[in-house]
Amino acid sequence: MTADARPMIEIEGLHKHFGLLHVLRGIDLAVAVGEVVCIIGPSGSGKSTLLRCINHLEVAEQGRIRIDGELVYRDEVAGGFRAHSNRAIAAVRAQVGMVFQHFNLFPHLSVTGNIIEAPVHVLRKPKEEARRRALELLAQVGLADKAEAYPEELSGGQQQRVAIARALAMDPKAMLFDEVTSALDPELVAEVLTVMRDLARRGMTMLVVTHEMNFARQVASRVIFMDHGLIVEQDVPERMFGAPRESRTRDFLRTVLER
Amino acid sequence: MFELFNPQVAVQNVGPLLAGLLITVELTFVVITLSLVCALFVALAGMSRLAPLRWVVKAYIEVIRGTPLLLQLIYVYYVLPEIGIRLDAFTAGVLALTLNYSAYISEVYRSGIQAIARGQHDAAAALGMTHALAMRRIILPQAIRIVVPALGNYFIGLFKDTALCSAVSIQELVFTAQVHAALNFQYFTLYTVVAVMYFAVSFPAARLVNYLERVTKRGYRRRRA
Repeated sequence: MTADARPMIEIEGLHKHFGLLHVLRGIDLAVAVGEVVCIIGPSGSGKSTLLRCINHLEVAEQGRIRIDGELVYRDEVAGGFRAHSNRAIAAVRAQVGMVFQHFNLFPHLSVTGNIIEAPVHVLRKPKEEARRRALELLAQVGLADKAEAYPEELSGGQQQRVAIARALAMDPKAMLFDEVTSALDPELVAEVLTVMRDLARRGMTMLVVTHEMNFARQVASRVIFMDHGLIVEQDVPERMFGAPRESRTRDFLRTVLER
Repeated sequence: MFELFNPQVAVQNVGPLLAGLLITVELTFVVITLSLVCALFVALAGMSRLAPLRWVVKAYIEVIRGTPLLLQLIYVYYVLPEIGIRLDAFTAGVLALTLNYSAYISEVYRSGIQAIARGQHDAAAALGMTHALAMRRIILPQAIRIVVPALGNYFIGLFKDTALCSAVSIQELVFTAQVHAALNFQYFTLYTVVAVMYFAVSFPAARLVNYLERVTKRGYRRRRA
């Protein structure tokens, strides 16, 4: 995997609580441009929360996030933080694509409507240009014939591919994938993974929370194992799956790979 | 010969009664239009991040819900002039009904907005939309679809509630009937005609609401040729 060393996403000392629950207990992580990092771990380990903190859908209490070298979401001032304006936060989110477990397509808009919504209303692209780009992206995810369909007319796998196209339409600097195949029927998982594999090959910077161990093994440049709000171990997939060092990683891999 | 229903009286009075019905319908449409808009602002203010704004909205809704509509009408028409606000009957009626219906409809809007899944907000935010843009383009279009049947029922209710405006001398249908009945004592005939007139409007309207309910349940699929 050719990843240039420039970091796209950098996280330092990230902490997050939900009430009394300490969900992220000091996360440090850097994802280089073009890198595909897969995060695995038991449910409740904080994987999804980490991803949601990166585009500020959850607000971490402590720590720094840099995207493409810029400190985002807040500045540090003497003794505390000063939050960025909502507009500045939205502008950062516009540069980072996110795909969700439950697709979250907009049901009142057609497939094309879903894809051009943010380019037209956030980036203020001309509608025609956005539409042309949408058709290219639909072709890329194998759904050129569904441009006029509505989300409810599509299978889960098709909806998720539209969701990927919708995120790509913003020309993001990086893509976050939050268990994007977990809600799919088993026979529909492969079509989504194929699209993601293709995206990785095109050099997209990707941070992928997943339970698909084969995908992580084949596509990831690096695999991270999280447990109880901490990164327990990280390594290239061959070593992570072949010879994990930590006993917790071994236990986890044993349970998921046995199935 | 004594008879309850006098067709001749009915025919003689149908003209003035239809004029009253016209006022009733006018009143209904003016109040519908105003309260659809006002209620949206009330609903959004009620979900604001500013706590004092939420409290004001909450208090307004509770006061409206906790007092009779008839009293609200009387209050606007008879009490406001004592503090220097003098309104003609029609304006007072519109104001009181709009205040009342905006409170109830704002609650309908609120439930509609809150029925939209969290994931829709997340997806809009993740695409870089501001809160206002997400509301306008993603949340409200879906919420309005959800609340259409409930709104329809409120408007049929409003059509009938306008009868209370007879108490503040708006010359709508019931008021007109009262005036004429006081002259000719043909209560049975006049009020039966009035009942038929209300029913002739609200029954088809109720069928229309049922139809809209079915259409909105059908999902977002468009029928294509």
